[in-house]
Amino acid sequence: MSSQRYDQLIADMRSDYRPQREWGEGKGILLVVGHFLVGVAGGTWVMSSLYHVTVGLAVAFVLGALGALVHLAFLGKPMRAFKMIRHFRTSWISRGFVGLSLFLVGSGGCLAIGFLGLGGPWLVLALCAQGLAAVGTVIIIGYMGFCYTASKGIPFWHSPLHPALYIAYAFRGGIAALLVISAATGVVPGDGLLQLWLGITVLVCLFFGLELYGAVTGGNQAARRSVHDILAGRLALLFYGGTLALGLLVPVLLIALPSAISATTMALIGLASAAGDFFVKLSTVRAGVYLPLRRIPQTAG
Amino acid sequence: MVIDLKRCIGCYGCQLSCKAEHGTPPGVFFARLLKHEEGKYPSVRQMFLPVLCNHCTDAPCVDVCPTEASHYCEGGIVDIDHDKCVGCRACMMACPYNNRYFNAERNWYFGDAGPTPYELARSARHDTGVVMKCNFCTPRLAEGKLPACVANCPTTARTFGDLDDPNSTVSRLIKDRGGFTLHPEAGTSPNVYYLAP
Repeated sequence: MSSQRYDQLIADMRSDYRPQREWGEGKGILLVVGHFLVGVAGGTWVMSSLYHVTVGLAVAFVLGALGALVHLAFLGKPMRAFKMIRHFRTSWISRGFVGLSLFLVGSGGCLAIGFLGLGGPWLVLALCAQGLAAVGTVIIIGYMGFCYTASKGIPFWHSPLHPALYIAYAFRGGIAALLVISAATGVVPGDGLLQLWLGITVLVCLFFGLELYGAVTGGNQAARRSVHDILAGRLALLFYGGTLALGLLVPVLLIALPSAISATTMALIGLASAAGDFFVKLSTVRAGVYLPLRRIPQTAG
Repeated sequence: MVIDLKRCIGCYGCQLSCKAEHGTPPGVFFARLLKHEEGKYPSVRQMFLPVLCNHCTDAPCVDVCPTEASHYCEGGIVDIDHDKCVGCRACMMACPYNNRYFNAERNWYFGDAGPTPYELARSARHDTGVVMKCNFCTPRLAEGKLPACVANCPTTARTFGDLDDPNSTVSRLIKDRGGFTLHPEAGTSPNVYYLAP
């Protein structure tokens, strides 16, 4: 441990609200990147299936595979990752590992059979692969939020809204990816994509607002501290600059432009939206502070 | 375990004896002491709160561990099997008492000067890339000894025993003096009790 890290740890331990630094700082940022990539992969698979965009399915697979690699890079002992299958019964990380494995096998199989143009008995296999991919998609879209909700040590994350929020992020990320793919391929899958983006964005804002409101009104002091850190503390720049300005204001302004939406504009909307999602996830993760331990009753009983 | 805050004098004996027993690297504290001041001048007093793993009956760290590395041992002690830990650190986020540490890399107390013979002897126990925490000195318990922090407390503020036995000293202390736990609202049923100062 470097002297700087050691000093930081000691300072954190002395503070009333000890921030968690293992997820979101240093090598821990890989976990946020991994969650972001896997969430977008799940959303892109769903949206591409709905709009029948084959390139989108391939992009979802690549994003999922990248997300898996980044997850592995985050682990202290990546070579033992296969052991994560063991505790499926209670651990959301274990469920996420299984879900991501199913997604990669299923989506990879689907794409391979489609790419090679195999028919006959292979179609049954393709159907099975589609089923695996569908089950995997549902799990990877949902598991991240539950991972945070299961973190009892961080009151701000320990909220029932977190899974809903992460599911909404996944869909928003999927639409954003489809916008970029549409701009790159020149094939616009449908008229309603931007309207759908707006609808999901409203939902994300609503969930996020409710989560902050819940933490401030019903949460304990640590949860309130996290909200303070996001809105007016150490993470304010990340939140206002990355999430609100880049992730919300820029896309909305681009959509509101009087001229027709060009391919470049669509790509910019998608990229800005995805960047906003990454920054809001990063802010939320970094805002996590542990429950303070110094509450001692003054008398017995 | 029961910790009598009336007896604790904040000497850091528990923290030091734990360090000596386990040879934990810099930045890893299985047992530590929190100090803070209460009141306003002239009525000010210093409060001490020794903390360690609470070995909860419903330990959230065990539930979230994807590899079953965090597990319950005989007698309800929560331990980590370092050969199973993948270093995902979910247990650190799940613990309401933040008493788990990630040993990211091998490091020594005297930096570039390298490890002392003592550190070298003890470091073999500690793998890098995994999470570490207090195990109530399980090897010492197996030898019939008390945990190092209990055995070395100069004011006998710490008492170790069987909470399932209603006639044990720990059970009687909790009953007679109204022992309390930290963050009972977390619903983890901690097994480290405190007696009010």
